[in-house]
Amino acid sequence: MSKNSSRSLGTVLLFFLGGFVGGTLLAILLHTLTTAKFEVNYLWDLPSLLLGSLAAVVALLHGMLGYRGVVRGLFWQVGGTLAGALFVTLVRWLLNLTGAKYTLFDMNTFGFTEPAWVLGAVVGSVAFVAGVGAITDWFKWALGEKTSEHHEDESGWRKYFGVSLDHKVIGIQYTFTSLLLLSVGGLFALVFRTELAKSGLQFLSLQLYNTLMSLHGIVMIVSILLGIAGVMNYLVPMLIGAQDMAFPRLNAFSFWVAIPAAVLLLSSLALGGFDTGWTGYPPLSVRAPLGMQMFFVAIWFAGWSSILGGLNLIATALRMRTNGMTAFRMPIFVWASFATSIISLTATQLIGLSFQLVLFQRLFGMPFFDAAKGGNPILFQHLFWFYSHPAVYVFVLPGLGLISELLPVFVRKPLFGYKWVAMSSLGIALVGFLVWAHHMFTSGMNEYLRVPFMYSTLLVAVPTGVKFFSWVATLWGGKIDRDIPTPMLFVLGGIVVFLLGGLTGPPNATVSTDLHLTDTYFIVGHFHDTMFGGYIFPFFAALYYWFPKATGKRLNETLGKWHFWLMTPSFLILTLFMMRVGLLGMRRRIGDYDPGLNFDPWHLAMTIAAYGIALAVLIFFINIYRTLRSSETATGNVWRSRSPEWQVPSPMPVHNYEHPFEVVGEPYDYGLPGSIYVKMDAEG
Amino acid sequence: MTHENHPGSLRQGLLVFIFLAFLTLVEFFIAITNQSLLLLSIVALIKGGLVMYYYMHVYKLAEEGSQDQHSDDWKLRTNRLGLWLFILSDSFVFGGLLVSRFNLLGLTRPDLNQYLGLLVTGVLLISSFFMNRAETQMGQGDRKGFVISTTITMLLGIGFLAGVVGVEWREAPFSVGDSAYSAIFFMMTGMHAFHVLTGVIFLGIVLNNGRRGLYTAEKHWGVEAATVYWHFIDLVWILFYPALYLIGRLA
Repeated sequence: MSKNSSRSLGTVLLFFLGGFVGGTLLAILLHTLTTAKFEVNYLWDLPSLLLGSLAAVVALLHGMLGYRGVVRGLFWQVGGTLAGALFVTLVRWLLNLTGAKYTLFDMNTFGFTEPAWVLGAVVGSVAFVAGVGAITDWFKWALGEKTSEHHEDESGWRKYFGVSLDHKVIGIQYTFTSLLLLSVGGLFALVFRTELAKSGLQFLSLQLYNTLMSLHGIVMIVSILLGIAGVMNYLVPMLIGAQDMAFPRLNAFSFWVAIPAAVLLLSSLALGGFDTGWTGYPPLSVRAPLGMQMFFVAIWFAGWSSILGGLNLIATALRMRTNGMTAFRMPIFVWASFATSIISLTATQLIGLSFQLVLFQRLFGMPFFDAAKGGNPILFQHLFWFYSHPAVYVFVLPGLGLISELLPVFVRKPLFGYKWVAMSSLGIALVGFLVWAHHMFTSGMNEYLRVPFMYSTLLVAVPTGVKFFSWVATLWGGKIDRDIPTPMLFVLGGIVVFLLGGLTGPPNATVSTDLHLTDTYFIVGHFHDTMFGGYIFPFFAALYYWFPKATGKRLNETLGKWHFWLMTPSFLILTLFMMRVGLLGMRRRIGDYDPGLNFDPWHLAMTIAAYGIALAVLIFFINIYRTLRSSETATGNVWRSRSPEWQVPSPMPVHNYEHPFEVVGEPYDYGLPGSIYVKMDAEG
Repeated sequence: MTHENHPGSLRQGLLVFIFLAFLTLVEFFIAITNQSLLLLSIVALIKGGLVMYYYMHVYKLAEEGSQDQHSDDWKLRTNRLGLWLFILSDSFVFGGLLVSRFNLLGLTRPDLNQYLGLLVTGVLLISSFFMNRAETQMGQGDRKGFVISTTITMLLGIGFLAGVVGVEWREAPFSVGDSAYSAIFFMMTGMHAFHVLTGVIFLGIVLNNGRRGLYTAEKHWGVEAATVYWHFIDLVWILFYPALYLIGRLA
């Protein structure tokens, strides 16, 4: 096949089906070989279905692209996994010759032993990055070869499936992957939400419920990390007038290393799953099935994606600003991204370390968290939450920045208290480093620690309050169209939902109430409010708002409104009911509950609401599909924005601005006559 | 030139090295006399500060230069910022390990071979001296000196690895799974040794490229990056050595 010819849709679908059939048949063959008995039922078992799906996706991509880009990466990942696993097995066989006795193949852990799988997972991930071509240039540098400064992308949609150094392409790759994982994580939620609609066990086993519940959490977290990385990657260089990020190759690497992580994460479902929740606390995580290790390795690689992405963004924001863009003329979103990146650059190392310690305890028996040998399980929680609490600020700060960014555009008024809002993001990020132990009020840590952590947590409300005050004051007296545009709807929805999440926070931060609320659905409701208000709503607002910038086409308003008006009430029902049953004593993370508690109707309503959200997101995907197919274009300044990226035609050219622009005024002075933010034709 | 006391001169390098070696002996002395956590921490922090300033040239981050985003000077300073951000990030791993060590072991320490500890510390310290020489020599366009100094640095790095992984790991009176002591000991030395290994590989790449004449006196970012990274590894050991060998009473 020549490099750029396309196969017909039918052929590609045949590839897909062939891959699925091949994958499942391979699974049953392996099962038969390893267990020495043939079971037809294994065809419908999770491992074979997942292997089938993986093969189907690879075959589909292969049909579309041929053997290059992401397809080559995936093939190399499979090969690398086998190579790593076989290497460990070989070493064990050699050690057996010296007299020590090691297991070579373990049928309880799907053929290979656990150490073999772990090294396989690591080698496979590295092989993916090498196979896709994200580290080729660095290898050349190490060998003393020169590489071209300019990297030509392939034309059309193919460039999104291979390594590109253009921050806009990488931003879209991130966003696409994020939406994909969002759907997968959402599907997991739908499955166990359906199970929860009635008390008693319907169709899931408790182990599978636990795995799905844990995977829902972590897949969504990775999806959010990729989503914010996507929006930040796409927007920040554009907003500050840069041609690209500071380190384009590192940028591509950050994205591509997240893909094998996602594959590993989903593979844990086939490799026994794990039942710890996304937090992976020992000692349970020391005893959990093999899937636990896949989860640890996956998060380790996803963490590197986040760390290096944050590094790149900090360097970009510090070094790449155009003339006249002083710190206090930067868009709020750049401030928010900067604050977020400080957290992801530093704190992420600690979740990696905590998971690595458990991984090593499992592999080598190092008793970090084994109290009988002088270890301390509480230590894990400290290390883990030192990242995982600030992580929620990683998730919401860019979203809150987006709200501040979009609000003035739609109310045609200056943003109220620009400097305070800019500093509040940094404030939240810094205070966020001091609050982690509020997740551990009931963990058995020293009791005197509870009080300082309670107060530091309540302190977060101050910079957050600054943001809310600014939003309300910006809205005050503003002019909003009677027919509110979809991005603005999502901005307003985000403010309301995040307010709910914010108000339900202090009861959890206060020790006396938290002792009752901890581990109940109240926490689940609170958490989902903050995530939807701080991430999902602003993320959708950003997608609707910048979609014309990226594609030159505007998403359909009617479908957008259906999306919003279906998702918002469904979501409010879901989380308010969660909090209600939580207050009445419904425990979180359980697959079954006592029918005597009379929670059945509430849970049924929640399940229906969850399907409402899923339907709304489906409408969004249909909207994207239809818009991309339509011929209507929107290349101008769709939202009458003052921001530089809207002063040039959409879609954005490869190196952004033809001439560097100059910042001469304040960014958000909407409605002030005569005020100018950027001069586009500044002398280059 | 080499006899003046300017940054990177032989005299300055020697002075810094002698001072660091002296402080290491002071640490050892404190450890066998009163084991004061405060004193040991202060000495370790002074050593770390010296390394950061004289070996890693942290002040270069604040240097002004060309504003032209296509100039070599601008790119160099951006690269420097990126490397230091990476070091900041990486130091959180080692910080986490230090915290874990004090959480698990408190003011006690594992039973280790003190002389071996002092020996490998000295080896790493000398390697940092030669690393500093290598960078200076490259800055002066002395390629031959650069090759020799880098080779010595690499050999000392490998010697350090042999001392820790080859000897100390075998000699330790406990095995991996015995207790929290053994776990934290193997984890800290292992994580550090892994970084030393990557540093040696990095130096090997730089050495090879330097021998082939890919760096000049003006333009040698690869050498500078490898140098800063190598000194960072030394910096970590400056904190790990007292934490593992000196602080606290014997368990």
